[in-house]
Amino acid sequence: MTNSIFKFLLFCFLFSLSACGSSTPPAREPQLLEKLHAAEKDARHALNGGELQRAQHSFNKALTLQQSLDDTAGAAVTMINLGTVAHQLREDEAALAWLDKILLEKTPLYPADSQLTAAFRKAVILTNLGRLAEADTSLQAAEKSCDKKCGQRFNIDTLRARIFLLKGNAEAALALAQAVNKAAEAGKEEQANALRVQASAEEKLQRYADALAHYQAALEMDKPLGLSSRIAEDLNGLARTAKLLGREQDAAAYARRASLVEQTKDKSVLSAHE
Amino acid sequence: MTLLTDKDDRFKNLFGKAALFVLLAVLGMGLVFFWTGMKKGAFTPKSPIYFVADTGQDLKEGIPVKFSGFKIGKLTSLALDEQGHVQVEIEIETKHLVLLRQDSVVSLKKEGVIGDGVLDISRGTEDKPVLVGGSKVVFERANGLEQAVMEVKGRVMPILDDVHQILSDPDGDVRQTLKNVRQLTAEINGLASEMRGTRQKIDQVLVSVDKNLNNEVGPLLHSLRQSAAQAETITTKLNQDLPGLLIKVDSSMENLRKTTETINKSVQQTVPQIPGMVGETRETMGKTREMMGSTIEVVNGLSTMWPLKGSVPPREVGPVRMDSHD
Repeated sequence: MTNSIFKFLLFCFLFSLSACGSSTPPAREPQLLEKLHAAEKDARHALNGGELQRAQHSFNKALTLQQSLDDTAGAAVTMINLGTVAHQLREDEAALAWLDKILLEKTPLYPADSQLTAAFRKAVILTNLGRLAEADTSLQAAEKSCDKKCGQRFNIDTLRARIFLLKGNAEAALALAQAVNKAAEAGKEEQANALRVQASAEEKLQRYADALAHYQAALEMDKPLGLSSRIAEDLNGLARTAKLLGREQDAAAYARRASLVEQTKDKSVLSAHE
Repeated sequence: MTLLTDKDDRFKNLFGKAALFVLLAVLGMGLVFFWTGMKKGAFTPKSPIYFVADTGQDLKEGIPVKFSGFKIGKLTSLALDEQGHVQVEIEIETKHLVLLRQDSVVSLKKEGVIGDGVLDISRGTEDKPVLVGGSKVVFERANGLEQAVMEVKGRVMPILDDVHQILSDPDGDVRQTLKNVRQLTAEINGLASEMRGTRQKIDQVLVSVDKNLNNEVGPLLHSLRQSAAQAETITTKLNQDLPGLLIKVDSSMENLRKTTETINKSVQQTVPQIPGMVGETRETMGKTREMMGSTIEVVNGLSTMWPLKGSVPPREVGPVRMDSHD
């Protein structure tokens, strides 16, 4: 009997506790907004899962809904996302076209931060394509829009360092990459990128021991991030510098590891989609 | 005085008898001449018609004048005038003049290719006045053999002259062609000798091919024969096995037909039920959707409640991740 009363009192206590802790359930959104949020959610979920085609489809659906609702800021973000997905699908011209829809818009339709992001991403894609002059122009546009408090300052600096390096200015690349590397607010990914640029610049400047150490540091950071292609880059850098330092055995081991990562990275992406 | 005294009675009135005989003979002869003259048209009235010819060739007195193949007159006189032309008179039976008009034309023709000349007179134009005696008509010579020959000669001679010129010109096409033919003949002779050499080589090749055929094709044929024998064996086996297989296939087809019939019957029985089933399915789907919506609402509501509130990730906004190395 006592046990039953105890159970009843415990139930009443928990019920009262949950009732007090809960807020009023939000009212259901209008149909179009609900569909828009569902599409965005699905697109992001698909992108995280590596389903690029599905992500592209859902972002397109979201863009249509946003445009029908005069959500220009949301449309700008979705267009950036569509550009990013196209870039990941290796459809770089399509990606540039999406970004240009924001950058070449004559009326002040889209927010400044979206224009900054679009300019930066365009510069990244152009750098990857080796169109360094165009990348430089686009990056300058991004730099102009980015003040000291700008969240993408470190991304821009790392990309600038990369462009310096690709143009053969290793000293400038090294200085800029070192600055990013030391800034904790740059984030792990960009710090790792900066370390890789720093190591490459040191390799060019024939500071092989420093380069080896920084490639190793970049590898240590990239591994927890689970980025295969960057791990392969780090390992290749390690192999090159180890060889230049006369450590043939180590160089061979790094090269073999890099080879294995490169061979399996595409398969791992495919299996992640299953 | 009486010289002789006719004693015989038969000599009585001898002079009268002789005179009667002569008179009858003369009368008979006169009748014959008259009859002949009438037949010849000597008593038919004729009208003179005139024409002028360049020459008197083939024209002579007496040649007949014909109209539509019938003789209606004849040429009566020819005379050379002061200009050297020949004035010709013809006589046409007056009764036939009504058939002729003033623009009638007299033509000198030959009866046949080399026959005698004959004057043919044409009718003339119907609306012209009738030809009257003493009129003048136009004369022309029809093309005879001689004229035809002359025409042919006139046409052939220039051609012959041209041919002669072409043949005699050393730079002309004919001479050049002959020269080329001569050269070609010489080349053909050379070619023929080459061909002879080629033929000898071909003969050698053929001998070689013959040898190869004997050495290589023989075994190949033997192999082919073996293959054919194997094929025949397979065919024989097929002939033996195929009927059984066909029976099995027939049986399978029959089974398939029965199965199809069964399916068809089932479908026919099912089809009327489909609209109802679709309606039910639609209703079920609607209910499921409603239930899912309610579930979502419940989940959304729960996600805002303690203690689940903290575990639900906030809705992502802003651009997806991309750094300087992507």
